Amino acid sequence: MKTLLKRTMGIALAVGMAGSIAACSSNSSNESKSNESGSIKLTLWDQSVGNTDPSAKLLPQIIEKWNSEHPDIQIDRTGTTGEQYKTKIKTSIAAGESPDIFYGMGGGSFMEPYIKSGNVLEISSYLSDDVKSRMGPGMAEAIENDGKIYTLPVYTHIANLYVNTELFDKAGAKLPTTYSELLDAIDKLKAAGITPALIGEKDRWPGMYWYDIIAMRQAGNDQVMEAFKDPSKWNSPDFVAAAAKMQDLAKAGAFNSSMFSMSYDEMLGAFNAGSGAMMVQANWVNAGIEDPSSAVKGKVKVIPFPVFEDGKGKGTEIFGGAVDGFYISNNTKHPKETVEFLMYLSEQLGTQGYLAGAGLPSWNIDGLDTSSLSSLDLSSAEIMKTATSFIAWWDNILPADSAESHKNLIALLLAGDITPEEFCKQMAQLKPTELNL
Amino acid sequence: MNSVFSNKTAIAIFVLPTFLIFSAIVLVPIFVSSYYSLLDWNGIGKGVYVGFHNYAEMFTDSRALHSIRNSLLFAAASIFIQLPISLVLALILASNVKGEGFYRTVYFIPVLISTVVIAQLWSKIYNADYGLLNSLLESVGLSSLVQDWLGQKKTALIASFIPTLWQYIGYHMLLMYAGARSISADIFEVAKIDGASRVRTAFLITIPLMRPILKVCLVFSVIGAFKVFDLIYVLTGGGPFFTTEVPSTLMYTSIFDAFRYGYGSAISVFIIAECLLFTLIINKFFKTE
Repeated sequence: MKTLLKRTMGIALAVGMAGSIAACSSNSSNESKSNESGSIKLTLWDQSVGNTDPSAKLLPQIIEKWNSEHPDIQIDRTGTTGEQYKTKIKTSIAAGESPDIFYGMGGGSFMEPYIKSGNVLEISSYLSDDVKSRMGPGMAEAIENDGKIYTLPVYTHIANLYVNTELFDKAGAKLPTTYSELLDAIDKLKAAGITPALIGEKDRWPGMYWYDIIAMRQAGNDQVMEAFKDPSKWNSPDFVAAAAKMQDLAKAGAFNSSMFSMSYDEMLGAFNAGSGAMMVQANWVNAGIEDPSSAVKGKVKVIPFPVFEDGKGKGTEIFGGAVDGFYISNNTKHPKETVEFLMYLSEQLGTQGYLAGAGLPSWNIDGLDTSSLSSLDLSSAEIMKTATSFIAWWDNILPADSAESHKNLIALLLAGDITPEEFCKQMAQLKPTELNL
Repeated sequence: MNSVFSNKTAIAIFVLPTFLIFSAIVLVPIFVSSYYSLLDWNGIGKGVYVGFHNYAEMFTDSRALHSIRNSLLFAAASIFIQLPISLVLALILASNVKGEGFYRTVYFIPVLISTVVIAQLWSKIYNADYGLLNSLLESVGLSSLVQDWLGQKKTALIASFIPTLWQYIGYHMLLMYAGARSISADIFEVAKIDGASRVRTAFLITIPLMRPILKVCLVFSVIGAFKVFDLIYVLTGGGPFFTTEVPSTLMYTSIFDAFRYGYGSAISVFIIAECLLFTLIINKFFKTE
């Protein structure tokens, strides 16, 4: 018995070791390689794995179709969830083991270091001529970085005010179009015992969306652009006024008292359960709100953030417009084939994803049947059509460590720990953007 | 056999594989981190050599100092709250109570559960809107105490300490229980015959004889406090306003959110130095006493 036990354990150990060796060796040959039949294997990493994320369903379908049509270029996809994806892709690029093609988190300061250090492939010489003509208006310029092209657009996202009309009706409040109407609505909602607005400030960026859009309404997009290039301009009367408005809203009880322990996911859960009347978010929340499991399905409207009576910004100056897309590693052994797949993937995902409610289109959508779209998607698209200018997520425009400081300062502002003047003084210490705006 | 053990080449051959693996996954990364900590580096591209600037920044940055203070507080809480509770439980369990095995298993369960699961569990207990703790307070008429436990400065730190202390009580209890059980039964019999009370026996016989295991527990719990990351990261992410930040969460955000590999590496080197220093102090303390 004893010898049998010993022998089994020996075998188990040996098998375990063989397994780990195999795992190691398959890892090291993870990069693209040609096998005997001459077919190419390309690796793709993305972050679309969420339950209510329409891209999570579309991506495998698009890849399967590509694989069956291109037996010589096979795609191997790995999906990883959001924050973990960021860590994973950073580590692999830094180690020089990046996949052939990967999702690039809205470009901006996330991708800038990799582009600067030459880890990302410049693709303009591989693009076919007609591809630009199939993109939506303005997209060809939006993806240019210093005159070079590294990515193709997939979706566009813009942030607006989401309002729960049922709760507004219950409180007898009017959907706000100006700052004073917003304050009025907050008073009425509070009087009716409804939480006026939800912020998942544990993750810090949901609060940033509020401040950023308030600052854009107060100072106007042109001033914000100037300040990105010359941070000393953050310390000017308009940005102080914006910070004061943000703090006034917090003091007026506009936000849930539990905001500092609420995460982004919990905020969405609470909004979709009807626990709050307003939220500033981008159209990636549409699918979740319109999901059959949501208690507020059909009761939510998306409207432009209110304009300020004393503000320089207009309702047509849009927060968002960041172009999400896939990037190609400079280490890939098959640049031509990978760009070919990139063109297919971006256009297919961009158009099919728009129809599935994943994001606003970056590609020409004439002739597409949009009857399947929810009213939220259609109104988001309507708002985007009115746009006169875009400013993308500030944490993508600011350099990474300044983006962190920006978010932390807003949390302090929300808690009333610093004055608007102090806030702007510290904003003026941030670094200028590294992007060519 | 003896000739093999005294043969230096044989020893070297047998030790070599482990030594190589240990170096590759422990020693080399420590030295590489030490090198990175002298750079101003965003993780890719070229780093700029800045000498000890990162360390200087760490000891002047109020956020970093606050995180170090938190980890020291946490170590103190482990020593003065967690270990005494574990010791009392271990002594009770070792004194032949009924259902010894059952209680031992129950207290050990939190150690077996993944820390992320525990953090999720406690974040639901603390939740301001539907949390167990607030509902409990309300149902017993203490609604004035209802608050956002993890979301405000004055309660967040204590609220995030409790789950970690709670989780590892069972671990230290098991170590101490094993230590108490390994003491020869003869000694206890003699004490019993001499008429020593249970408490007297515990203080004069069991605890002094448990010294080696107490030292191990002390080292583990202090180092564990300095290294704590997962629970804090899931529970509060170091927030609100860095009140619950510990060096390891600051290291993570510096590296992965702010792209500052050099500064993050400096913090990691500090954590290693801190752990080594306190291990030495504890060892010295137990030797001289």
